[in-house]
Amino acid sequence: MSDFSAQFKQALSLVQKPGRYTGGEPGCIFKDKSKVDIRFAFCFPDTYEIGMSFLGEKILYELLNQHENWWCERAFMPWVDMKAEMERLSIPLYCLESKDPLRDFDIIGFTLEYELCYTNILAMLELSGIPLRAADRGEDWPLIIAGGPCVCNAEPMADFFDVMQLGEGEQMLQDICAEVEKAKKTGLTRLELLQNLAQIPGVYVPAFYDVHYLPDGRIEAITPNRPGVPATVTKAIVKDLDAFAPPKSFVVPMVGAIHDRASVEVLRGCVRGCRFCQAGQLYRPFRERSPELISEAARALCHNTGYDELSLTSLSTSDHSQLESILDKLNAWATCDHVSLSLPSLRVDNFSESLLQKTTQVRKSGLTFAAEAGTQRLRDVINKNVSWEQIERTCTIAFREGYTAVKLYFMMGLPTETMEDIKGIADTAQQVVDLFYSNPDRPKGKGVQVTASVACFVPKPDTPFQFCPQDRREALKEKQRYLLSCVRSRKIRINYHDSATSVLEGVFAKGDRRLGNVIEKAYHNGAFFDTWEEFFNYDRWMEAFAACGIDPDFYNYREIALNEITPWSHLDVGVSHAHLVREYQKALKAEVSPPCNRQCSGCGANKLLGGPCFDYGKDLV
Amino acid sequence: MTTVRIWFEKRGEAAYISLLDLQRVMHRALKRSGLPVWYTLGFNPHIYLTFACPLSLGQESLCESCDVKTEAEPLDLSGWQDALSACLPRGLVVKRVAPVGDKAAAIAYSSYAVTMPATAAPLLEAYNAAESAPVTKKTKSGPKTLDLKAHLPKIEYRQEEDTLYLLLCLPAGDGLNLNPALLLEHLKTYGELPIWQCSILRTGLYKADKTEFC
Ligand code: SF4
Repeated sequence: MSDFSAQFKQALSLVQKPGRYTGGEPGCIFKDKSKVDIRFAFCFPDTYEIGMSFLGEKILYELLNQHENWWCERAFMPWVDMKAEMERLSIPLYCLESKDPLRDFDIIGFTLEYELCYTNILAMLELSGIPLRAADRGEDWPLIIAGGPCVCNAEPMADFFDVMQLGEGEQMLQDICAEVEKAKKTGLTRLELLQNLAQIPGVYVPAFYDVHYLPDGRIEAITPNRPGVPATVTKAIVKDLDAFAPPKSFVVPMVGAIHDRASVEVLRGCVRGCRFCQAGQLYRPFRERSPELISEAARALCHNTGYDELSLTSLSTSDHSQLESILDKLNAWATCDHVSLSLPSLRVDNFSESLLQKTTQVRKSGLTFAAEAGTQRLRDVINKNVSWEQIERTCTIAFREGYTAVKLYFMMGLPTETMEDIKGIADTAQQVVDLFYSNPDRPKGKGVQVTASVACFVPKPDTPFQFCPQDRREALKEKQRYLLSCVRSRKIRINYHDSATSVLEGVFAKGDRRLGNVIEKAYHNGAFFDTWEEFFNYDRWMEAFAACGIDPDFYNYREIALNEITPWSHLDVGVSHAHLVREYQKALKAEVSPPCNRQCSGCGANKLLGGPCFDYGKDLV
Repeated sequence: MTTVRIWFEKRGEAAYISLLDLQRVMHRALKRSGLPVWYTLGFNPHIYLTFACPLSLGQESLCESCDVKTEAEPLDLSGWQDALSACLPRGLVVKRVAPVGDKAAAIAYSSYAVTMPATAAPLLEAYNAAESAPVTKKTKSGPKTLDLKAHLPKIEYRQEEDTLYLLLCLPAGDGLNLNPALLLEHLKTYGELPIWQCSILRTGLYKADKTEFC
């Protein structure tokens, strides 16, 4: 292990935080490579610190490595300085465990967490010396696969991947590895292997589909180009979350990750049906883990990693029907094991006093609410079931408990939004300030700080708002200016981001295969780390679109007709088109829909389970 | 309450763990090991630990030390070495655990085994022949210039194939701490020396009377 090559040592001596590139962290898995049949490189197309914060990678790392004859290792996007040194010194991208170059692996899997990391994927392939396009890779190259939420519209990256995984990877990825192992042992060709892989639920082989376009650029049809390939790919899910225990160990980063703590996924999916939220649709239906399994796994995880902070994660942790029981079980051992709990996504509507106490025994951090919109009308449009009364009730409790900082999350650019709704953001923040000073039990001698964080809304596939055009940059800028002019108190801080990255996000979210050229062009013109403001260059992207003869506005600023064939129409995440149309039309009338645990809205995702999502006979919350 | 000194090696990949990160790594390893170490009291209890004379990033060591406290009585340290080693990343290996001997402030010198490419031999000769070897060292009160020759009049080395082996003894600790990297930088004034082809391994810590720090 100390025999780092001279080049590698040289690179390490010249870069910031070399510990990101050396591996060997506690919990990392070493195997004898001469004794394994499948070598899998799990690649995260962003920095080590960000990648090491993702739970998905930890889940799959443990699952794959449980197979004695498979070895799953990790690679991340090297930071700019290291990338330059690796290019200069001809060091190919390698995995942290064995330090072997990626091209020695059987399978290279990328996770597609957000659209703006696409150029990093190309950079990582190029650093590995691997041809970017699937069509340019012959029999001997590793199989390049993708997973993660962006696969729900995988099309902009379709040309670069051999295989994409729609849905949850726990079973699917193991099935893929098993097929690859079989193919290796029986000497199948790449084509034969891909045909076998296409039979696995959730697996999408982009090359097996042809996209036909209308003269105006819209899609006419997407059809399989060979027999035995499904016309639509349906996402894979884990029906019973308790069938897969959460990881009992993590690779524990030594260079601080963003989320450097133990975390356990308590549920998957969300009952809420917020119409702007893609994750809420993609992870349907809602499934819970049992309190016993959560507590057991959490304790083992803290024990095996040495973490002293545990967080319960999911889209909406406080929607777990047995949350109090989970907290009681965790609190039974947490203190004596020197572990503190944090619950990141508390919701205003079912936030009780006893819950607050159970989670704040250790630390009083700020309180955050996702109000999302400034007026009740617009909250009804987006189906965000939060009312001012709920915010008021929760803040009252929280101020009494000693909280003095409140962070409110909003969006602007939502469908049907008017300046009245923008003013509503400032009004809501002001009401929270007023509430603090009118509370006789407020912490004495302290002021309140209300932060309103305002994001630009990006319409996403598989949501009822997929049909909507995105707000233009000029319109968003004007709304930001107006919002600032509505703020009267020094206790209120408004945060917002530049909308340039949101434009690209919108284009790639709803884009089609023709964007592959644009991504490659922009990459060759120097685009990578586009999620990092200091490297994102809007003009470079616009030049790439122009060079490829593609109008980006066609994708994000155009309203999609309700009967239009979308680039993702052959990728089925379980939610029916009819449901999206219904929800969209209700939205335009500001009509709300109930959460799934109260009443089923018939989205169709229950088919993935093969039965109803909830037992409505039971007395539910 | 007893203070216990944990001696460990820091080699290979672990050479790239910074002091700040090392504190976290050691904290988690101690927590995992379940050893009866003392936690600070209060709102957010954590394990009390301090490191003596930590190394620069990228350098290896045979003799790093970390002090922890324990209230265990009677104190039985026999299982500590294996229990803690099992919880540390490879590269960090516990060599010895014993009740604390000297105060960390007693450290006055450190010895290092340094390797460099054989092409550096003329540079070492030039150093040995030089009258003085002024180097600039960053200190808390700004850059300070000092003469390396005052602390290291002559460098002994031997050559094996294309590598030179040096043994150095330099002031270390709270008083004057001379990092061997200073010498490597200085040698570059006599000619070309690719630093990444050199390695630095700390081999021992000593008190002012040159007896071993323990
Ligand atoms: S089928 Fe009904 S309960 Fe299940 S996710 Fe869809 S709307 Fe919710």
